[in-house]
Amino acid sequence: MSLTLDIPVIETPRLTLRAFREDDLDVIAAFFADDRSRWVGGPKTRAESWRMISGSLGHWALRGYGMWLAADRISDTPVGAVGFLNPEDWDEPELGWHLYNGHEGRGLAHEAAEAARTYGAQHFGLTAPISYIVPDNARSIALATRLGATFEREGTVMGTPCHIYRHPRSGEGIQ
Amino acid sequence: MTDLTLDIPTLTTKRLILRAPQARDFDNVAHFFADADRSWGFGGPKDRTDAWRWFASMIGHWALHGFGFWMVDTRAGDPVGFVGLWAPEGWPEPELGWVMFEGTEGKGFAFEAAQEARRFAYEVLELGPLTSNIFPGNARSVALAERLGARFERSYDNVTHGTELVYRHPAPEDLEGAA
Repeated sequence: MSLTLDIPVIETPRLTLRAFREDDLDVIAAFFADDRSRWVGGPKTRAESWRMISGSLGHWALRGYGMWLAADRISDTPVGAVGFLNPEDWDEPELGWHLYNGHEGRGLAHEAAEAARTYGAQHFGLTAPISYIVPDNARSIALATRLGATFEREGTVMGTPCHIYRHPRSGEGIQ
Repeated sequence: MTDLTLDIPTLTTKRLILRAPQARDFDNVAHFFADADRSWGFGGPKDRTDAWRWFASMIGHWALHGFGFWMVDTRAGDPVGFVGLWAPEGWPEPELGWVMFEGTEGKGFAFEAAQEARRFAYEVLELGPLTSNIFPGNARSVALAERLGARFERSYDNVTHGTELVYRHPAPEDLEGAA
């Protein structure tokens, strides 16, 4: 009996969205050691960061969708992570994103999230996902708004109060 | 498309089948982790949420390392536990681990499954003499390790679990029945 991990590769103008690899660990551990990771469940140790990588791969196996690593299309340098999260304690599938240290301010999260959202609508049936955002994460709220998502309700994720943004249904405000 | 197929072999013993984990196994895994009396020696107890994260991570471990935990069923298909090879980031070396579900002990299933996983580790993966990391006071696990021929080597500070006892298994050439 085998288990298939069908993780597609998505190309955007500047990025390749691909499966996480073990050699991404240094960059990911550095991100999770930094205070910026508090928006997405951090900080985490290096060992916990490794389990985040393995857990992301397992998520694909269990749910059929998951998170991609976003890498620079030319150099393959990891710049962030984007994709769909739906672990046991989530209300419903979430479109999530974060950029690793030093890659903000160039619109990469927008580029990655838009590509992931379009792919999810076309291939996974995830047509109007939510995004959980900690209320004072102004950057992420700005990106959600730019993506056409709107505040829907308050919620809690991993014990942290969150705002739940709802993305527009595929075709409504998404080209 | 990248098809990353997890090539998880199915192993069979006289009474048991060791096979790839599937989504449907999660309830049994969560039930195990919810039971503090059973799971304290395996990083538990964990609530259902944390059990799911562990389960997903365990499947991903196969993708990253090419080995991991097999779900163990009887030949009739009844789940009895999970047994396998584990080396997440921070582990000093790969270990052989075992978990039996409630009501399945006392039949030698863990011994039979662990022996088969160890054989696979040595013969197919060509891993060196395996360890088993055991929480201090887990007499039941120590007894199984010793029945498998493993001997206490040292204690150490595990990155996730704190102090653990390292039991060292016989090398491949020292196993009874080795060619």
